[in-house]
Amino acid sequence: MKALRVQWMLAIFCLGLAGVIAELSWTKVRVSIPEMGKKQIEPSLGQGMLLGILGGFRTVVADGAWIRSYVLWERRDRAGCEALMRTSCLLDPRARFFWENTGYVIGYDMAHWEIRKRGGYAKVSAEIQDDLFKKYAQHGINVMDEGIKYTGGNVGILISAGQMSELKLKDFSQAASYYKRASESKNAPWFVHFLCARALWESGETKKAYDWYREVWQKKLSNEDDHAPDDLEHLRFMEDQLHLALLQRIPRQSWEKNN
Amino acid sequence: MPNFMKSSLTRISWMTRLTFLEAIRQRFFAFLILLSAALVLSSVSFRFLDFGHGELKFVCDFGFGGMFLFGSVLAVVMSAQLFFAEMDNRTALTLLAKPVSRTEFLVGKFIGVWLVLGVFIFTLSTLLGIILWARCQELTATAIEVGKAPPELSITGLLSYTGMQWARLGVVAAMILMVASLARTFLFTVIVGSMLVVAGQLQWLAQETLLKPGELNFFSKALLSISTYIIPNLQQFNIGDALTLDHGSVADGAVTLALFSGTCYIVVFLFIGSLIFRQREI
Repeated sequence: MKALRVQWMLAIFCLGLAGVIAELSWTKVRVSIPEMGKKQIEPSLGQGMLLGILGGFRTVVADGAWIRSYVLWERRDRAGCEALMRTSCLLDPRARFFWENTGYVIGYDMAHWEIRKRGGYAKVSAEIQDDLFKKYAQHGINVMDEGIKYTGGNVGILISAGQMSELKLKDFSQAASYYKRASESKNAPWFVHFLCARALWESGETKKAYDWYREVWQKKLSNEDDHAPDDLEHLRFMEDQLHLALLQRIPRQSWEKNN
Repeated sequence: MPNFMKSSLTRISWMTRLTFLEAIRQRFFAFLILLSAALVLSSVSFRFLDFGHGELKFVCDFGFGGMFLFGSVLAVVMSAQLFFAEMDNRTALTLLAKPVSRTEFLVGKFIGVWLVLGVFIFTLSTLLGIILWARCQELTATAIEVGKAPPELSITGLLSYTGMQWARLGVVAAMILMVASLARTFLFTVIVGSMLVVAGQLQWLAQETLLKPGELNFFSKALLSISTYIIPNLQQFNIGDALTLDHGSVADGAVTLALFSGTCYIVVFLFIGSLIFRQREI
């Protein structure tokens, strides 16, 4: 009887020890599972996504949630649509598609839904409309920020966030900071440098915009096969607007067209 | 090796052989392995349903989902069924009347079931590996043509993940045998076992909550603390994506520690199971 009691005590001790080892193991493994977070799974509760949260068919469940979110998008159900879209983002946080489109829907569509719900564009005052557009745009940008973090700074999401800051918030400095991050990444598209310079220019920092754009052109773009003539044309426009002296301008290129 | 240990191992190996042969002949096993294989094979055809994921990720997810879902079902149902078949047919009485201890009986049953689960997991993994490798070759050629970065695929990562899944199923099977050694009916074992598997998959939530225990009262905190030690964290074995498609994102020693943790749980559950089974009236 005593031996059995000792065995049971040993078993309980071993179970606790196994728990400690499992805890150590989880701290190491956890960093490889970005979709795992108590706070992050909250939007998915009650959405029938248990299988995805448990660990199987995450991508498939994420796609299913996205398709279901379209139905709610058509019904203009703000809460339901956002919950399902966020669920897709949570289940596959490395996919650009979910973050970008969730941000778009929140930032571009939802303010219109709310205005219509409040009686339409004629009834809601312009100030309130503007406030709603900004509120939802900021919310959309916050979602995209999360996406940028999870995807390791995806260029597409950075550009989308910049675009939303520019179009909806009219915050050109914020837009420029997103475009700048996109411009610094390895696979930056050819047009993003101009977008950044233009946003800086629009924010009032004209000289800073010119200096930054010029540096990018001289260090990076002029070394490309076609020497990026469109970017140089934009730079020439800026030089004219800033009334720069001849010596302060980029020296004339042999291949440059005469205006 | 001492003689008593040698003879004990021989008896365990007999039990293992018997269990393995009985399990591998089951229609349920054949059905699940065919279903899972069909799922893995069909993943390539379902690509059109995919939104913006990498194609290899989508295919991987189908395979890993199959391993997780059907593997769990197989581990729960087969372990319980093989245990209760011996009880209901009274063959356990005949076996235990011979110089076979109850611990040897339980360990033999476990190893037999675990080997069958190994056949299941490694068959699926091989099939998935072939599909992924073939698609990776095609995608790499296309990516090079258009000047994009080719997709990453680590076959050794897939192998590590397969090992981890086998360990996970081992933990599940050991847990079910522990429950079975206490339970009176097959149905009770399957239901409680399934609930334990779900709890194990969600156990990390308790750990996360305990990291910020501010809002919890003493009772909830104590309950959560105990549950994190008693219920194994089965989510620690689910790092297939990171291992197979993004090998660099897995911390050094993570796989070894997870496998060690799984082994510890298997040993502990079998130990507790044998303690319960030794006191059970058959």
